[in-house]
Amino acid sequence: MTTEAAGPDPAGHPANGLDEVVHQRVRLGILAIVHEARRAEFGYLRTELDLTAGNLSKHLSVLEAAGLIKVEKGYEGRRGRTWITLTPAGSAALAEEIKRLKLLIGKVETSGHP
Amino acid sequence: MTTESMPAGGDPRRLLSEVRDLARGVRRDQRLTWAALLVLAVVTLVGIPFDWFGMSVRCLPDGSCEFARRGVLFYWPPALLLAYAAIAVSYVRAARARGLGARVLPYAVTGAVLTVLFTAAWVAAALYFPSHPVRFPSSVLVLDRLIAPWGIIGLALLVLARIERNVALLLFTGGYLAVALALPTNVGLSTPWGIRADFAVPQLICGLVLLLGALGFARTRRRPR
Repeated sequence: MTTEAAGPDPAGHPANGLDEVVHQRVRLGILAIVHEARRAEFGYLRTELDLTAGNLSKHLSVLEAAGLIKVEKGYEGRRGRTWITLTPAGSAALAEEIKRLKLLIGKVETSGHP
Repeated sequence: MTTESMPAGGDPRRLLSEVRDLARGVRRDQRLTWAALLVLAVVTLVGIPFDWFGMSVRCLPDGSCEFARRGVLFYWPPALLLAYAAIAVSYVRAARARGLGARVLPYAVTGAVLTVLFTAAWVAAALYFPSHPVRFPSSVLVLDRLIAPWGIIGLALLVLARIERNVALLLFTGGYLAVALALPTNVGLSTPWGIRADFAVPQLICGLVLLLGALGFARTRRRPR
């Protein structure tokens, strides 16, 4: 029988609850914009996040595969437009990520580490 | 913005700050405050001749006058409903053109509900008070100003400021409401030009305040990138 030294509970650290799909700057930015805007167009996201079309498409694919966003393609006149909306799972994931980030900030501040 | 995944335990403060900046930018891009104020200013200024010519005035031998503002009742309800519809459509179209959804519906609904309340209150007053003359205390007159068209414009703008989290609009609306409540839009200002002018001057001031607000917000609006 071994006795383990009592240390900080890793499962209790807020960083352990972070979702890798959401905890990525661009994807978090996409979720934040779409949440605030109700829905956002591909071009708006590309401009605001300063990304190439290909790069943004890759991130959108990851979020769509995770069921966090819905992508709708359509036309306005002759112009093709792609609209992105959050799914309920996406809203929940964004709220959870922000909660975890605030917890992390609180943890860093109370521990006194930078 | 880079595409690297942020390591857990990195800089959550910076990440959170970026999220807030992006959300703030979206809210700024969704705003069309100047257009809302312009529509309301036009509706207010166009309403002045309706009140002027629609008012029936009967002056008694003792020098006192009785008046009925039929023009207000006929003009303002449809004008305000059309104004809120026009503002909602403008917001949705502008937001869509920028590639965003709009968040104007609660404002338009509040405006429409307040318009119905004002109409009901004024119709009830028009039916009841001619046969039951009452001298109201000044507190009731302030409430009356609040549910008059010039007051409900301000009340609905408070909702718009809340949903847009627009501090500048909140401050402007506070100033506008102070003007609208201080001016006697319901008993008339005392002017040397007659009873019709007594009512027209406060409306002119409210309209000009809204117009100045529209110009101010138009000058400071965020241009789409």
